[in-house]
This record gives sequence, structure tokens and C-alpha cells, in this order.
Amino acid sequence: MKNQILNLTVVLIAMLLSKVSWSHHSFAAEFDVNRPIEITGEVVKVQWINPHAWIHIEVENPDGNVIWKIEGGTPNTLFRRGITRHTLPIGTVIVVRGYQVKSGGFAANGREITLEDGSKLFVGTSGVGAPDDGAGEGR
Amino acid sequence: MFRSRKKSLNLIVLSLGFLSCFLAACDQERSSAQYSSTINTKQTMNWVLDPHADLIWESSGFVMTDQGVQSLAPTTDEGWDAVRNASASIVESGNLLLMPHHATGRDAWIGYARRLQATGMELLKASENRDAQALFDLGGQLYVDCQSCHNQYLVKAQAGLNN
Repeated sequence: MKNQILNLTVVLIAMLLSKVSWSHHSFAAEFDVNRPIEITGEVVKVQWINPHAWIHIEVENPDGNVIWKIEGGTPNTLFRRGITRHTLPIGTVIVVRGYQVKSGGFAANGREITLEDGSKLFVGTSGVGAPDDGAGEGR
Repeated sequence: MFRSRKKSLNLIVLSLGFLSCFLAACDQERSSAQYSSTINTKQTMNWVLDPHADLIWESSGFVMTDQGVQSLAPTTDEGWDAVRNASASIVESGNLLLMPHHATGRDAWIGYARRLQATGMELLKASENRDAQALFDLGGQLYVDCQSCHNQYLVKAQAGLNN
């Protein structure tokens, strides 16, 4: 009986561990829901690549400017929402709301960006377990 | 005479019995040797499917900087051949995911695996046609295929675990 309980415990722990290590593509694996960010910066680079577009912005910092990498949805998803290469030309100043990476580095999952004219765009990916509070009209 | 005939009949029945047992054992051995289930689903994803998907994704799209716009599409035959090979591997990965040790008892899984194969076939065509735009669009579809399956079999499980 003792052995059976021990075996069952080992199997359950293995199942839990396997679920944790299966987190390669999910929001929870890379980003921290307890580290919401709101940063303002100038677009210096945009990678229109699959599976995620990346917006690089230069953010002023007392110790020297920092480049933040903001992960967005797939390019096609963003195109369908009307976000194109013309929406984010180099030099545009944007405000980004999102969630920082767990490591604490200068990277985040972007949920919503605000353009200089005040318009808001949802740039996030749906259905990956990310908080949905940034979903705005552009979604 | 009669006893000898009966003995022979018994011998034949016995031999047939042994033969059928032998053939059944052989058949069982052959069917269990058809597949290896050594590589589990997670490893199949990480070691087989992901590297090919990454190659597809890294071979399309564009990067904007103050220097201009740079396309990531292949510019050489070798580059397109690599995309073709990755596309074929994605089709075959769909086959792998249909193997019993991945798919048994998972009806929706089978649909996702077939959708992955269909996208792989389209990617194969795009690579043969050297069609950079189709490669880019299908790269997005490939992610949707992956994510649809993850939403059902991975993210929900993780959400349950995290709660």
C-alpha cells in the first residue's frame, strides 16, 4: 500500500512537472502578470516576422536610454486590425502597456499601444493565457 | 491402422496449433515493432516540429529600421531548398502526431494535426514557387495551427495548474 501511494505521488509530480515544462509558447512561461508596465518611447525598429511582430522602442532613462523589445501578435493578425508598417514608422513616439518578461529584462508582451494622436491599438495575441485588459477598439 | 491414423491426425492438429501460436506471436511482434514511442509528444514538438517551424518563420517577413526595410525572404536556391525541406518536415510531423501514442483518445488533436499537414503542403507549394508573400502569410497560418492546438491541450492545462 505504501509503495502504491509512493508510486502515485511520483506519477503525479511527474505529470505536474511535464505540464510546467510544456510552457514554451504560452504567455505565463515568459511574461509576468505581476509586472505590468507602461512606458513611452520612440520606435527604432520593427520586426514584421512570424510568429510575433516585435516593436523596439528607445526609452529615456536617467542612467542612459534603454531599448525595450515589445512582443505583438502575428503580423497578419495586426494587418487585419489595420496596423501596418505605415502605422508605426521609425521615429514614432508611442506609449506601450503590457507585461514585462519574468527575467526582469527590457522586454515585454505588448497589449495596447497609444499613438501620438491618442488613438489606441490592441497589439497583443489572444488565446495564449495573457491578461486581456489591454484590449481596445483596435482589436 | 485406425490408431495410427488417429495419431497422425492428433499430430497435425497439434502442429497447426503450434504454427498458429507462432504466427500470432510473430504478428504481435511485428505490429509492436511498427512504431517507436520513445520520443514523447513534448519531445516531438521541441525536437522535431519546432526547429522546422522556426526555419519557416525566420525565412520570411521584413525588418524596418532607420536604414530602410530589409526582407528576410530567401535569396538563393539553397535558401529556398531549406524552406522546402522544412515544409516537407512539417507535413511529416503531422503524420508523426497522428501516431497512436500521441493521438489516441484525442479527437480534436487529429483535426489539428491534419490542419498542420495542410498548411505544410501549402508551404511546400510556396517554396517550390519561390513565393515570398505566400511564405509570409502561411507562416502566420502555421502559428494559428500551433496555437489552436496549444489552446486546447496546453494553455488550458497550464491555466488549471496555475490556478
